[in-house]
Amino acid sequence: MDWSAATPASADLFRRILRRNEFYLLLFFVCFCALVQGFASSFLTLENLFDVTKTSAGFAILAVGVLVVLLSGGIDVSFLAIAISAQYGAVKLLIALGVSSLPMAFAVSCGIGILLGAINGVLISAFRLPTLITTLGTQTVFHGLLLTLLGSRAINSSDLPRCFLDFSKAHVFTLAKPDGTPYGLSAFVPIAVGVYVLTWLFLKFTKIGRGTLAIGGNVESARRIGFHVPLIQISVYSYVGFLAGIMGIINVALIRYVTPTTLVGSELDVIAAVVLGGARITGGKGTIIGTVLGVAIFQVLQTSLVLLGLSSFWQRAFVGLIIIVGMSVTAYQTKLRNARSLIFRLE
Amino acid sequence: MTTNPASRVLLDVQGVSKAYKGVQALSDVSITIHRGEIHSLVGENGSGKSTLIKIIAGVTQPDRGEIVFDGKHRTEGITALGAIRAGIQVIYQDLSLLPNLTVAENIALSQVVEKGRRFINWASMRRVAESELRSIHAQLDLDAVVEDLPVSSRQLVAIARALTQGAKLIIMDEPTTALTKPEVEALVAVIEELRSRDISTLFVSHKLDEVLEISDRVTVIRDGKPVGVFPASDLTTSELEAHMTGKPVTRERFESSTDTTGVPLLELRNLSRKGHFSEVSLKLWKGEILGITGLLGAGRTEVALSIFGMNPADAGELLLNGERVTIRSTEDAVRNGIGYLPEDRVVQGLFESKSIGENIVVTILERLLGGLRLVSARKARQAITRWVSELKIKTASSALPVTSLSGGNQQKVVIGKWLAIQPQLFILDNPTVGIDVASKAYIHGIVRDLARADMGVILISDEIPEVLATCNRVLVMKEGRIICEVRPAETTEEELYGLVSGNAS
Repeated sequence: MDWSAATPASADLFRRILRRNEFYLLLFFVCFCALVQGFASSFLTLENLFDVTKTSAGFAILAVGVLVVLLSGGIDVSFLAIAISAQYGAVKLLIALGVSSLPMAFAVSCGIGILLGAINGVLISAFRLPTLITTLGTQTVFHGLLLTLLGSRAINSSDLPRCFLDFSKAHVFTLAKPDGTPYGLSAFVPIAVGVYVLTWLFLKFTKIGRGTLAIGGNVESARRIGFHVPLIQISVYSYVGFLAGIMGIINVALIRYVTPTTLVGSELDVIAAVVLGGARITGGKGTIIGTVLGVAIFQVLQTSLVLLGLSSFWQRAFVGLIIIVGMSVTAYQTKLRNARSLIFRLE
Repeated sequence: MTTNPASRVLLDVQGVSKAYKGVQALSDVSITIHRGEIHSLVGENGSGKSTLIKIIAGVTQPDRGEIVFDGKHRTEGITALGAIRAGIQVIYQDLSLLPNLTVAENIALSQVVEKGRRFINWASMRRVAESELRSIHAQLDLDAVVEDLPVSSRQLVAIARALTQGAKLIIMDEPTTALTKPEVEALVAVIEELRSRDISTLFVSHKLDEVLEISDRVTVIRDGKPVGVFPASDLTTSELEAHMTGKPVTRERFESSTDTTGVPLLELRNLSRKGHFSEVSLKLWKGEILGITGLLGAGRTEVALSIFGMNPADAGELLLNGERVTIRSTEDAVRNGIGYLPEDRVVQGLFESKSIGENIVVTILERLLGGLRLVSARKARQAITRWVSELKIKTASSALPVTSLSGGNQQKVVIGKWLAIQPQLFILDNPTVGIDVASKAYIHGIVRDLARADMGVILISDEIPEVLATCNRVLVMKEGRIICEVRPAETTEEELYGLVSGNAS
């Protein structure tokens, strides 16, 4: 076959793919999986896939929230404080009322999440505050209020309403191992997939979604075009709160234990995964596919370090490294572009 | 449409006045723009151009005066949005685009927002963008991200966007500053196209030759007061300058006898940098002003930045006073007594958040150190006082923020900052861009004085009259090479224009 005769359209498509960040992430992901498989043959099994997707679902949901905030040109470090508040609040309420209803758990958790997220959005838009400082502050406030108002007592598996335990074991479909033990795709996974599809639709087809990217690109231009910047910011942070609420419930079901002192502190992991997925930390750039790949690579690296015989403490160093490398790549690309047009300045 | 000749008038501003905190920014100014007219508004910095534009665009309200647009009297309390709906579009210098979004979105998104749609219809957005671009004969990839495009293409995007909102009058604020000559011509072609559709353009520009070339009529204002309206064909640039400044501008040629027999202060031998410039050779003697001109992108700034160490050459030699030197950073350059005044004074030349004084002494902090290696306030004050008075920087106090100064005075601060290091070689890259005529003449005077004091000066400029009036010799660059050297006394503006744009015989 004569390759040079390939239709211009397909050649163009191929070139476009080669230019995409996501292509190289995918390449890296595939190679890394092959490497891990070489070390541990149990890695690429359906059972492990189900296991990894179950434990990663909550993380993935938070990641897409972080993507939305980064796209808007902001950064949020309070989402885990929101998640833990929403989670603890919902579980406490269900226990107090003596009901066991998963929809109600989600409704309460997401409600608390949206409320706290909206507080972030209002603070940021009304006073035009820097987002990192604001959410760093509210992170501490939310977590502090949670511990003071609702207490810090852990809730054990035996005290949890039944619905959480059922949710934990819920499968989309179930297979059986040779010895008869059942396994299957966790119900967490379609929720995460749903969240990704929803976010994609939001970003691509709604005015507020495009506005999110617009304010991340140039807030003043967006304002001049007529975008309502405060409304967009409040929507963005409320959406992150909403996703944190979903993650909160999934997290209870996953670990079957609730303690308000966990979770907060690993925000950087989620941000690292999103940055690894190619989102620009200074705003305006990033894709859903990139985030999926970033999360996948991050989770596989995390679970496989042990498989590869490395201490899990390496993971901490690794998270920081991702953020620094990710930012360096962006900065370097900007520098190259600027040098070409003779601009010598630090952005 | 009526046949009433008055309906040819699109915008009629009569006797508007505006005061800000007691300062009269505009008094009794009028401007009339016809349908399909290309009209220019000129005036020096601080003459009230921006205020007038803001009033037309509905951003600020006049204290007095009457505005009729498209046959309708403007009622008080009109908003910027109201003006846009009526058909007035302002394209600011920064273009107000969304850099991370595509061409299609940048063109069509404002329409989506305007119509209050909640959802995006990509197919119709692309259709709108495509048809608007086609209407101005612009060929752009609809899916290209705007930040990857050159400025000239971004401008087309901004114009197409203005058209989607039903613009009847497009106001362009300094649109040609960052454009090369062919790009300016392409822009003019677009504006001509708009004229054929009865869309008017109000041009605000400092480039007087362009103003006269492009526009039908020119409205001149000075110190917030009307000077007059003139048909562009009746004016020359010097007449226009005289209207702007209120006094006739004399064009002198720089005469000085420099000794060009000894060792040159600066010599470049076949200096090259791949993709930027190649085999650039030149000599500059003490007390000489060497002009370098050429189109944007011809390699002028690239060479200058190379001498200053920001864009190091990868082949060739650089000699200072006959000795080979290697300059690979700005520190090397400053140590060798080279000063560089950048083209973009605001971003690259000033510390915007600092005071006038702090900006002046920033290059010589080393010399101001006192006993404990701390900056001595007394020495700093002396240096600041000296340069503020020597350069006649107009300010109430050197402790005021540098941003409180006008463009011309800001430029004097940048010059003062470099003169403080007492350079032997001073490179000025387009020092008078966006500066009013009076400050321009003053800066030219400073440059001449520096040469008389035996400094070597390289003056890079787009403006042919400027290099002719100021320099001993002029080099013309094209596509990264020096194509010829001329002496101002032996050439004319027209001849040099021809050499620069490359269509001379």
